[in-house]
Amino acid sequence: MNGVIARITLRQLLSRRRTLLLLLLGGVLVLVAGIFRLAGEEARALPFTSGLLGNLGVGTLMPLVALIFGTGAIGAEIEDGTAIFLLAKPISRRTIVLTKLVVAAACSAALTCGPMLLAGLIAAGGLAEGLVPGMVAGAAIGSLLYCAVFVALSLVTGRALVFGLAYVLIWEGLLAGLFAGTRTFSVRQLTLAFADSIGGIPKEIFEAPVSALTAVVIGTFLLVGATLIAIRRLSAYEISGEAA
Amino acid sequence: MDPGAVVELTNASRWYGNVVAVNDISFQLAGGVTGLLGPNGAGKSTILHMVAGFLAPSSGSVTVGGEPSWRHPEMYRRIGLVPEREAVYPFLTGREFAAANARLQGMAPAEAAEAAARAIGLVELDDAADRPIGTYSKGMRQRAKVAAGLVHDPSILLLDEPFNGMDPRQRLHMMDLLHRMAAEGRTILFSSHILEEVERLAGRVLVIVSGRLAASGDFREIRRLMTDRPHTFTLRSSDDRALASALLAESTTAGAALDGGILTVRTNDFGAFSRAVTGIARRHQIRLHELLPTDESLESVFSYLVRR
Repeated sequence: MNGVIARITLRQLLSRRRTLLLLLLGGVLVLVAGIFRLAGEEARALPFTSGLLGNLGVGTLMPLVALIFGTGAIGAEIEDGTAIFLLAKPISRRTIVLTKLVVAAACSAALTCGPMLLAGLIAAGGLAEGLVPGMVAGAAIGSLLYCAVFVALSLVTGRALVFGLAYVLIWEGLLAGLFAGTRTFSVRQLTLAFADSIGGIPKEIFEAPVSALTAVVIGTFLLVGATLIAIRRLSAYEISGEAA
Repeated sequence: MDPGAVVELTNASRWYGNVVAVNDISFQLAGGVTGLLGPNGAGKSTILHMVAGFLAPSSGSVTVGGEPSWRHPEMYRRIGLVPEREAVYPFLTGREFAAANARLQGMAPAEAAEAAARAIGLVELDDAADRPIGTYSKGMRQRAKVAAGLVHDPSILLLDEPFNGMDPRQRLHMMDLLHRMAAEGRTILFSSHILEEVERLAGRVLVIVSGRLAASGDFREIRRLMTDRPHTFTLRSSDDRALASALLAESTTAGAALDGGILTVRTNDFGAFSRAVTGIARRHQIRLHELLPTDESLESVFSYLVRR
């Protein structure tokens, strides 16, 4: 970790407009929970909270926030040319990538887990037998995995946002619902497996489609693989030049 | 490698697919100011980026201090880089930006603050140092980049079109600063497409055209080559045919052609011809309406140097 790079990245990622937009997105989750609570349907609190945190929290909020922060952590600097001020320094590319990844993941986790915790507590009226803490902890791990994938993607292609969105919508949203095999490589499904395992959620409330062991193995593979790709790509980074 | 050389390119080429950006260039630098002169798209930035370790040579070698510049982050301890692109973190103040660059060079916070203040002073940015860079003019952003490039007191300074956006006073100040830094023994390599900038600053010039090293050496020698080349003028007068005959009788005229009602004259001595032509017209009682040099663009000068 490099403190100077972390501070610059933090200020870059948490620009006022972007943060407000993402807070609004998280606010929708809390708003829905509030409306449910006001409706007074307490008997359905557990399944509703499970659906709210699983579908809207882990399924929508988490990937979108991570996509914005993950692709913006290095990709935006490369695109606008400011990356050269970090790269022309005697700092290893590994340190740059790891610092950027940690900051992006921390920002993503904060803007995902905070609203999820609040929404979960409001909708369920408590911790809901491990459902709320499990989902929040799972989302923190999911944010890290997503950010690793998106940071790597931003160093592989200049259209990381488009490809990232396609992965979330098509692979995770569509294919993972149709073909069970694709779920193994879905960060969303891995996140739900972590949530289930950490929260110890009773089966009648929530059951993840992927086992905890698979989630740990695939999650580790994704995290390490994506980070290594990012380091490798940044080490071979070339400025796009002129042609005579 | 020449034991005195700090930067060395040996038969370095760089291409993108089938397009050649830099073609078989060799030179050595060791102290003083060297100007990379050439038209836009000639390959100047590609050369600077190869030296700075941001482009791998497709063939040949590029070394800094005897080590390959590509994939060698440790060399940035001795290199200061001022890129051409304007983008600088808009949320940082000039002082924060310079200090951040110093910290990234490994300086302790107090040392970095001191170095930033010195660098800010060197580029005369003190008054705006505590304002966010997002509020800076183009020239101020340029100076902030220069401050960041020299905050760690590098022995090699690479500057890509450093005078872009600066007003004449700032340019002179920056040139004076670079002169002083060179006099202290630093190696400075900068690119420019403006002849006058290179003339004022660089003791040595590398003329780059279409990715090739067209000429290199002392600026006065390059300047002489540029001045002594054939020049072409177009003329309009009350009697173009008579004027052509009169000019052909003069030793300064190398040739004349009257084509489509336009008189074109070639000369090997720009100055002598320019001075003599009005007198010749007067002696032959011809009214001269227009005298225009036709090939004074920098590109045509460079093209001539390449053809030599």
